[in-house]
Amino acid sequence: MLTLEELEPIFRQVFDDEAIILQRETTSDDIDEWDSLTHMNLVVALELRFKIKFALGELQKLRNVGEMLDLINRKLVK
Amino acid sequence: MLFNSFEFMLLFLPITLVVYFLLLRKHLTIAARSWLLFASLFFYSWWDIKYLPLILGSILFNYTIGGLLAEYDASAKKPVSKKSIFLAGIIANIALLCWFKYMDFFIGTTNGLLGTQLPLLKIVLPLGISFFTITQIAFLVDAYEGLVEERNLLNYALFVTFFPHLLAGPILHHSEMMPQFERLRNKVLNWKNLYLGLTLFFLGLFKKVILADTFSAWASAGFDTTQPLTLIPAWLTSLSYTFQLYFDFSGYSDMALGVGWMFNISLPINFNSPYKATGMIDFWKRWHITLTNFVTTYLYTPILRAFGSITFTNSLVAIFLAMLISGFWHGAGWNFIVWGGMHGAGLVVNHYWKKKKHKMPAWLGWLITFNFVNISFVFFRARSLEGAGQILGGMAGMNGIMLHRSLGKFTWLQDMGITFGKWLDAIKGNDETWVMAIVALIIVAFLKNSMEIISRVRPSWGWLVLLLVASFWSFLDMSKVSEFLYFQF
Repeated sequence: MLTLEELEPIFRQVFDDEAIILQRETTSDDIDEWDSLTHMNLVVALELRFKIKFALGELQKLRNVGEMLDLINRKLVK
Repeated sequence: MLFNSFEFMLLFLPITLVVYFLLLRKHLTIAARSWLLFASLFFYSWWDIKYLPLILGSILFNYTIGGLLAEYDASAKKPVSKKSIFLAGIIANIALLCWFKYMDFFIGTTNGLLGTQLPLLKIVLPLGISFFTITQIAFLVDAYEGLVEERNLLNYALFVTFFPHLLAGPILHHSEMMPQFERLRNKVLNWKNLYLGLTLFFLGLFKKVILADTFSAWASAGFDTTQPLTLIPAWLTSLSYTFQLYFDFSGYSDMALGVGWMFNISLPINFNSPYKATGMIDFWKRWHITLTNFVTTYLYTPILRAFGSITFTNSLVAIFLAMLISGFWHGAGWNFIVWGGMHGAGLVVNHYWKKKKHKMPAWLGWLITFNFVNISFVFFRARSLEGAGQILGGMAGMNGIMLHRSLGKFTWLQDMGITFGKWLDAIKGNDETWVMAIVALIIVAFLKNSMEIISRVRPSWGWLVLLLVASFWSFLDMSKVSEFLYFQF
């Protein structure tokens, strides 16, 4: 099972902010640098790191860290 | 049928609600959903029944293609690949939209470029076609990528046609709607939802009938006049339209959400005080939010992925292209392409600025954003590029400045070349025009929006009185038929 702690370094690198602490409730509104442009960088970073692929229709769900974590875990099980 | 009509509010909506909940009370859930579908198709056919086969055909076609994609068995040897089915589906949808929406634009452009004399087809745009086409394109994409799990035809048809959103959004996603039609707790009459839904509906009605329709008169007069506008009427024309569009479209969205709540169906929020935005990125997070989500997911992302590598420059190009297409989706004309291009460019500059970590005071960001948006809407509203140029020329002071007669006594104003007279006659305006513009500016820049207001509403006598006053005032002003602006897109 992937945990929040394992996601944090990826977020810190993509958004260039070492102070980022993730919670399940964190959304794109909480991180200033997180917009439609950096969102794609995040998605690609996640795809590379976990060797998974997101469908277009899943990308909006990824704006919420809790749902992101669940979705990645489901993909890792498959 | 218009939300702001007596036949909708006094007959259609109450009858639909009562029958719906009566059927549910008898546990006839499929009958209740079928009733809602019938009511939605009736609502759609009210204008012109000849487009009913079109929307039904579109639904059946996309449902069938979606089913083929969702159940495609890659191991079995099929004569047609999954990708070909998918592409055929997408092309058919785009072709339908092109035929009804863009043929005359293509013919006109061809005539202009090649000097040919091909006759225009003058095809009437079927209501809602832009909306029901893109929601179904999203459905096909998701079916292709294996995200479609629920495949009940009744729920699907209801997702596409559900009357609150059918004509002008919010743009729905099947994954947020179809489960709602299936779920059990939606099926009991909920007085709180009915009360909040009615309140939101009348808030929206007030925005539409009292605010938007008032500005509409000045905006139309200014954009339709052939005489050159002086500085102040030109600005009041563009501001009137900017306010009209917001109150009209967000009023419509409020009414749609309100009606949805009455049926215990929640539609996505479409507006969040867009004219408070302090930058272009911020603006698109607040304006027509469901369109922003659609464009980001189904245009921007595939474009960017097609580039192969996700660099900053590629992202900016993808944003610009996505906004250009989004502009063209709004309407078949160069003015819409310019409008989309302006917003694309605005977003590019904003992202670049943000990347460089430049700072800007919030008030300055607001001032630039609001004015940029206001100027872009001149292109959005004008019938042609020349028409937009005339208004913008007036706003730049190229037709001189005229002020109210009473200021004529100041000779230093005269020395500056300012004339005096019936300063607002050209836009059929009077003192109410500029007062209302200031009032509207205060409303959009400082007051709470309808979603913030509704979250504070409690069932109390005070609210009830306010609600009755607002709705009665709106009723009095509803004698004229006034369509919503987004019906034309």
